[in-house]
Amino acid sequence: MSASEGMYDVALKPKLLRSLLREYVPDEKHPFSNPSELLYVVSTVKTHKLLSEWAPLPLEQDLVDAWKSAVDSWVHRLLTLASSSLPDKCWAGICLLGLTCQECSSERFLASYAVWLNKLVSNIQPPVGSHLLKAASCASLSDMFTRLSGFSNAKKDGSSQATKIIQPALKLLNEDSSAVVLEEAVCLLCTMINFFPLSVHRHYDSVEAAIVSKLMSGKCCANVLKKLGYVLSLLPKSRGDEDSWSLMMDKIVLCLNSQLNDAFQGLEEEVRSAQTLRALLPPGKESPPPLGGLASEQTSDLSTRKPERLLGSRICTLMQCCCNMLTSSYPVMVPVPVSGLVALVGRVLMVDGSLPPSYSFMTTLKQEFICSEIPTLQLHGLEILGAVVQGLRSQLLPHVAAIVQLLKEYLRRCKFPDLKIKAYAILKVLLMSMGIGIAIHIGQDIVSNVFIDLDFFSGEKDGKSSRLHAKAQTELSSESRLKKRKHSSLASSFQAQPVQDGLEVEMLHNLSPISVKIAALEALEALLTVGGSMRSESWRVTVDHLLITVATNACKGGWSKEERSIFLSGDRTATWADFQLASLRALLASLLSPGRVRPAHLALGLELFRRGMQETGTKLAEYCGHALLALEVLIHPRALPLLDLHSSTNEYKVLGSKIRDTVYPSGDRQISTYRAGPVDPESEDDDLYENWLGDADELEIQVTESKQNADYTEKPPATATDPTLGELPVKGASLTHSTTKEVEVLVSATGRNDKRMGNTDDYMVESPRSRNTQDQRADNGPGTAVDGCVAVQSGKDALESVDLGRRIASVENDTTAKSNVISEVHGTIASTSEQQVTETKDDGVTTIVKRISATLSNTDRSKDLMLESDNELSSDFPDIVDGDPDSD
Amino acid sequence: METEVVIASSPTDVGISCWDLHTGEEHLRYKSCASPSHGLTSVAGRFLASSQIRESKSSSSSGSIQYWSWSKPQVEVRSFPAEPIKPVVSNSQGTYIAGGGVSGDIYFWEVATGKLLKKWHAHYRAVSCLVFNDDESLLISGAEDGSVRVWSLFLIFDDARREEMKHLFEYSFHEHSLRVTDVKTGYGGSNAIIVSASEDRTCKVWSLSKGKILRNVVFPSIIDAISLDPGEHVFYAGGRDGKIYIAGLNSPVTSNSNYGLHIIGALSEHSKGVTCLASSADGFLLVSGSEDGMIRVWDTRTRNIIRVFRHTKGPVSNVLVIRQPKRTSSTSLAPAVRRHGLPLPPPLEKFANNPDENAYVKVLIGPQTLPNQLLDSPYISVQTMEAQIKELQQQGSSAAAEVDVERLKSEQVRSVQMIQQWKKMYENLHQFCVSELLEGSHTESASGQNL
Repeated sequence: MSASEGMYDVALKPKLLRSLLREYVPDEKHPFSNPSELLYVVSTVKTHKLLSEWAPLPLEQDLVDAWKSAVDSWVHRLLTLASSSLPDKCWAGICLLGLTCQECSSERFLASYAVWLNKLVSNIQPPVGSHLLKAASCASLSDMFTRLSGFSNAKKDGSSQATKIIQPALKLLNEDSSAVVLEEAVCLLCTMINFFPLSVHRHYDSVEAAIVSKLMSGKCCANVLKKLGYVLSLLPKSRGDEDSWSLMMDKIVLCLNSQLNDAFQGLEEEVRSAQTLRALLPPGKESPPPLGGLASEQTSDLSTRKPERLLGSRICTLMQCCCNMLTSSYPVMVPVPVSGLVALVGRVLMVDGSLPPSYSFMTTLKQEFICSEIPTLQLHGLEILGAVVQGLRSQLLPHVAAIVQLLKEYLRRCKFPDLKIKAYAILKVLLMSMGIGIAIHIGQDIVSNVFIDLDFFSGEKDGKSSRLHAKAQTELSSESRLKKRKHSSLASSFQAQPVQDGLEVEMLHNLSPISVKIAALEALEALLTVGGSMRSESWRVTVDHLLITVATNACKGGWSKEERSIFLSGDRTATWADFQLASLRALLASLLSPGRVRPAHLALGLELFRRGMQETGTKLAEYCGHALLALEVLIHPRALPLLDLHSSTNEYKVLGSKIRDTVYPSGDRQISTYRAGPVDPESEDDDLYENWLGDADELEIQVTESKQNADYTEKPPATATDPTLGELPVKGASLTHSTTKEVEVLVSATGRNDKRMGNTDDYMVESPRSRNTQDQRADNGPGTAVDGCVAVQSGKDALESVDLGRRIASVENDTTAKSNVISEVHGTIASTSEQQVTETKDDGVTTIVKRISATLSNTDRSKDLMLESDNELSSDFPDIVDGDPDSD
Repeated sequence: METEVVIASSPTDVGISCWDLHTGEEHLRYKSCASPSHGLTSVAGRFLASSQIRESKSSSSSGSIQYWSWSKPQVEVRSFPAEPIKPVVSNSQGTYIAGGGVSGDIYFWEVATGKLLKKWHAHYRAVSCLVFNDDESLLISGAEDGSVRVWSLFLIFDDARREEMKHLFEYSFHEHSLRVTDVKTGYGGSNAIIVSASEDRTCKVWSLSKGKILRNVVFPSIIDAISLDPGEHVFYAGGRDGKIYIAGLNSPVTSNSNYGLHIIGALSEHSKGVTCLASSADGFLLVSGSEDGMIRVWDTRTRNIIRVFRHTKGPVSNVLVIRQPKRTSSTSLAPAVRRHGLPLPPPLEKFANNPDENAYVKVLIGPQTLPNQLLDSPYISVQTMEAQIKELQQQGSSAAAEVDVERLKSEQVRSVQMIQQWKKMYENLHQFCVSELLEGSHTESASGQNL
């Protein structure tokens, strides 16, 4: 029965293991030539679970025995190999033993781990000299303890075994061994701290001293330093109490501060160091012992060959360690020295490498060295700031102001792309975590910064933006060419910028690289998401315009493929495709975030998303699909708005259009060009709420609304005779269900429109300068919307009255015609008085509102009026035409 | 799944009752609590906090704030603020407690340390209700002087910016003519709505983004409590006439209702006034507390009562629906914490301290993961082996060189042995040949002689 199962056959496994043992695992007699064969062994063992010794029920005794003996001989072979005098064979045995620790059955592991442990330990102690063997043994030991920690019944024994390991591991650390061994020894220590904290507990101080002395020695490569920093940050976990964490943090930040003293000597005012120290060590708090005990003190002399490099890497490692402590979980509550950390980061961020005039002892050579290190230091400083924000979450509140202040100042001065990206990222996280409360206060600052970085339009008019795109494409292609030549990281691709500067010198030098633009767009997206509609009057219109322009430009030359860059270089670099995606994301936020006015660029945005969605299979298409789904609600609003005419104080217009009076951020030129340029006449003034309210009165919207609504124009008359379209939330809906009573209401509604027109007329006579077509139209909206809804509600219990419906339809057609004329008329008025929109308009509008509501209440009360208002339809028309010369 | 529990307190000292919302099972009753309206809150589900105002006691001049842990009925921590506090509210992470004083001041404490971080004068008369907005960056307060104010906590803590501003609040709504009895806010970030109820028999709906009134709903009776439906298509308003009115937020305006404009209907069963309301997480259940001491659970879909709890004879002042963390949830914490139990934080301080002392923030860092989730990654030996193989195959790398040296050494040893062997053989052969030759010459000479 088992023979039929093929590769799933359990009986196959012992055989497979034996053949592996025979063919691929080295043995004593034959030379071991090709180490890569081990990879095959490992993958086979892992894929087929050859060591698991697990067979499905019912158990077959033969199979169990065969498998057991096969694994027995496997283990035996490994142990023999691990004792071999030949290093390569011994190494193979150790590596495979590590694999066995992961893969073998629990029973076998528990039964024999002690034997394996001894074998492995003997390989990290003298007289073994080979680095290879030591490193492999450390890795295998680490795996063994990881597995062991999973058995709760072996905890105690494991802990005592682990204690025995610490000493040899420390010895490895202290000896001057190679990077490979150090790395693995540090990993072993991490495992111990994580799983057997008690074992490290006893050697806490010596572990700390060993790590710190290595860290300070300056002889380790970057990789090892990183791991050393990591294990140092984990160390307090071995005790797991508040005090050890706090003590370690204090030690690290004080050490950092003193290292910074060395690094920035002469580059900053002397008081700075003392100030930071005071923040780190509030008066009354006694200073902790130095990091790593006294032993590390003597190593901090700077007489080595490249003292600045050494200093830089030390500081970075300590900062990294600090970040880890702030972000990796800790079992108990700990006091985070927020003020101290912010002061420390502030100290790093505010250094710009220039010599203050008072101080002249520093050699230019040293200045050059330090200047080359500053960006890295600042990057790590920003990372600490990010870690503080991440680690403290809502508890950051009392300190947010200081952080925001620091970031704002830094963004203003910072020129390096990587640093800017980081700063934007922190701002983004801050915005998202701190919410509207912060967004309404720092929105303006973010916007002015973003405008500088998204500066597509510096000194360019229409024609240039296409060139810009072409240039961006060349930028991209030259970037990828660079990538072919050398495996460039994010940072080095920015350094490649000067190469393109040769192509178009005059424009490129002031452009931020794509990745900064992406970061800026993301920050803007966060701002719009969180606080796009509250207190955003001063920047919202320009930001909306900026985003549609950026998105249009980004997508102008078609969609770039996102796979290419991944293929060319392993790590993700920011590409044009990412930029397109980021710009579309920000655009969606701008369209969705409700503002005072209906999104002005909805049509263009929809078009962009629709086009993007056709790029099947890309992330961009996915996002565009999501965007269209989200925007659909905006096009066909379902929820009815809260606002209605019956609320006692309905003076939103008064607050309404402060937009045009506000001073724009930083007086940038590109912003003022937006203002002066032709603004969409229909989108500028209409309030979103009013528009939505007005949707029962589609006619009115059509008058001025552009193409996107054009198809509605035909609908209302059509629905009057076609009851199936009754669902539409437009006037047609009420028409189809109309009873005589309702039709009366409707007639009154249209009558009111005419009233409005009459009012318009009056109004224009009063103040001919303003051009408030939309305002008035929209103001009228709520009233008619309410009536329309009433009609829909009570429509169920009534008979249809086709005759009346037809009449209404014709009335409507009339109105359409007329209001078209009106809009033309107003068009001319608008063109003459375009620039003269003033505050007086608001007053005008409020009087209008009052007057309209007065009329409305009149019509409500007296049914007789309706017929009259119907008559007015014909008489109003010429009046308005007459109004035209008046207003001129 | 977490269980939802109903907790209730009253202004007379009858403690805090606690029931399972879905099964109706009564849990522990926490002792000695007499809380004013809005004076009961759950701090991140970790413990209960309540403000206390006792008229009868000699110390009536200053109230207190008390903490109860879930597992013990006794008051564990008592704080004595500078003045009696009525409403208390905590943010969802349980890091801050805000309290509104009878003088109109708002107090803002950090829970972990008990420090009074800020205190500011918010209203001319006593603060009657406090609520955080959905992202907890704004605090909204209602007061007996009829005003509703919105505060940005960021601004409250930003000393430099605060001095530039003319006033501390973001909005101040004055449309209510009498005492504000309840304020609620919903989802939507900056576009959220705020609903406030007042003794002037109205509820008003405010737009946060625009800072103005959106809707004014006039009720037949004074509204003491409101609850916003989680989906925000209606809100419930509990009146002193014992009815819970349902007012539409998204519904079209109807004037055919018996109760008034915007009021869609009412739930009525109460004999006495409704004093407090709370909604379950899914929005299907509405819990109401009444002056007759009963707590009723309504199904909002059928508008029927599905459960009645009896809290006390006197009025109920607060009901809350809380997702209670599992009682066994402490196992997810680290062993040290599990052993000692998470202790309750220290009492709230009376006076604000020197800002320099706030340099440290006590915080629980990182995600508190289950210990066995830590085991995900860390097998490293195979990875190490791969790296080493790579190095071994690379000609001239130190590892390869090391192995080669070792191999050469052993080969050398073998070769030396071989050489010795060959030498020996050679010597043997030599010896043999020499002796052979010598013997040969002997015999030759002998034979020559013989010749």
